[in-house]
Amino acid sequence: MLTKKGKYGLKALVHLAQLPAGQLAFVGDIATGNTIPKKFLDAILGELRNAGFVQSRKGKDGGYRLARPADEIKVGHVVRVLDGPLAPIPCASRTQYQRCEDCNEATCQVRHLMLEVRQAIAEVLDQRSLAEMRDIAIDETPLTAKAQA
Amino acid sequence: MTGRANSIIPSSIIIVGGGASGVVMAAHLLKSPNPDLRVTLIERRPHFGQGVAYSTLLSAHVLNVSAAGMSAYADDSGNFWRWLQGRGLVSPEQTPQTPFYAPRSIYARYLGELLDELEAQEQPTGRLRLIHEESRSITPTPSGVEVALANGTSVVARLAILATGHDEQPAQGHAIRMGSEADTELVPDRRVMVLGTGLSMVDAFLALEQRGHKGEIVAVSRRGLLPSPHRKGNPIKLDVADIPLGTQLSYFVGWFRDLIKENQKAGVDWRDVVDGLRPFNQKIWQNWPASAKRRFVEHTKAWWDIHRHRMPPEIYARVTEAVKVGRIRLVAGRVVDIARGGDFTVQVQSRHTQRLETFDVARIYDCSGIVRDISTSSNSVVRSLVDRGLARPDPLRIGLDVSANCEIIAGDGTVSAKILAVGPLTRGTFFEIDAIPDIRVQCARLSKRLLG
Repeated sequence: MLTKKGKYGLKALVHLAQLPAGQLAFVGDIATGNTIPKKFLDAILGELRNAGFVQSRKGKDGGYRLARPADEIKVGHVVRVLDGPLAPIPCASRTQYQRCEDCNEATCQVRHLMLEVRQAIAEVLDQRSLAEMRDIAIDETPLTAKAQA
Repeated sequence: MTGRANSIIPSSIIIVGGGASGVVMAAHLLKSPNPDLRVTLIERRPHFGQGVAYSTLLSAHVLNVSAAGMSAYADDSGNFWRWLQGRGLVSPEQTPQTPFYAPRSIYARYLGELLDELEAQEQPTGRLRLIHEESRSITPTPSGVEVALANGTSVVARLAILATGHDEQPAQGHAIRMGSEADTELVPDRRVMVLGTGLSMVDAFLALEQRGHKGEIVAVSRRGLLPSPHRKGNPIKLDVADIPLGTQLSYFVGWFRDLIKENQKAGVDWRDVVDGLRPFNQKIWQNWPASAKRRFVEHTKAWWDIHRHRMPPEIYARVTEAVKVGRIRLVAGRVVDIARGGDFTVQVQSRHTQRLETFDVARIYDCSGIVRDISTSSNSVVRSLVDRGLARPDPLRIGLDVSANCEIIAGDGTVSAKILAVGPLTRGTFFEIDAIPDIRVQCARLSKRLLG
């Protein structure tokens, strides 16, 4: 499940991916532009920095920018760092397995299928780069405009 | 020559290099039922199936992977085991699950016989041709490739697969390669130095033992670390969805250390965690940014290697005993000076104390590893491809730059549709591609892509 943290992190990275390469963005601008609580965003960007997806500069002209080209960072890379192992339900994970109170994992068909689902999730998210995600929006704008015309 | 180009058979493939990876590649291609397939395997050594690794005749030089992992076929893991059984080389009570580290010379025989069988099987079809000759260069032609041989002739095909394996480079400076011509008889009680403390050093120690050498062996490497021993276990189960991809190296290493700690708390051996990661090693490598790859090779690889590339427990026991009694002395440091008198006077600076220590040794063996700058390769085919801009080194210069489909990438970034590579040459893209368990999977995939 993509948490709010994961969603906000991706939105912030798309924001950065839209800037000219190397240009820094203020945290406040990213927060207001994407309606993300600023304190939460600070924490998220800190984690993304530790994982090597963004770089920051302190001071008056400080801010964040992508540490690598947007086509090199895959969406799946980011989600794992922010939300942990990709898993549709908490019991469908090998490293951060959380037992369900109400069922037996050995015989649970739901868990079994969800283990398969997570492979599919990984396949999609590891193929898509931030650049591709950013460009989805750009591609769809003219489409909507056309539909309205 | 141009007339011949028109008659190139569509599914004709030349494999340059008939060592282990070349034979495994040929075996996978020949599984195709395609009657028009033509496979030409070219090897300069007198025997097929023996590269650098499997040409040793020493019985103490055993495989570092248990027999069950050494089948030539990706989809038939019992192939080598059945061969061993058929030859009576394992006792009847042994099962494929029993760890068994066969001598490497036996493995060379297995690959040799496998090729003999293929040759016999393909005799009526004419689908396999073996050439004993040195390849000089590969040149793309409008309809395929032409491989020039040392005897002045050439062979043509639709495409060529480079399988030249490990580079047999002349050793650096005063150090020599074990088993080379310079490795003449040695006075048994003389002290020798080995550059490197990894699995090649262990091979050198075993060879010296077998020859009756008794003197001290001073083994020097940057960290002086000895590879760990194997232990029978069950690799933990992981999915790609569990593994952080594309992060900085420090983030990944932190995650992996935590994973080992958690598993150890639950009573799981660290080896099972390291081995559980194996199916994803290539994926992890390919998703890392260039900076993480570089850092890994410079700083982390030495630790990774001693945990990942282990030795059979019996060999480990011999080596650690030798260290204990002072027959092997492990030194963490770097060689700063070698002076040649009758003997060599070698100055080594300790990694920890920075102090200089001087060793007088009768011989220096180069066992410092198999990864070298590819553009200085001693292999003329590889070098000529790089020199003409038809291929380029990967960013770390540890192999040739190839696509995820094994296609060679030219100096200008063009992906070749005609020249491919498998095995150690592709380590820049595939990371751990030195051992049969990985090479056979790579060959199976490539074969499927080429022939369906």
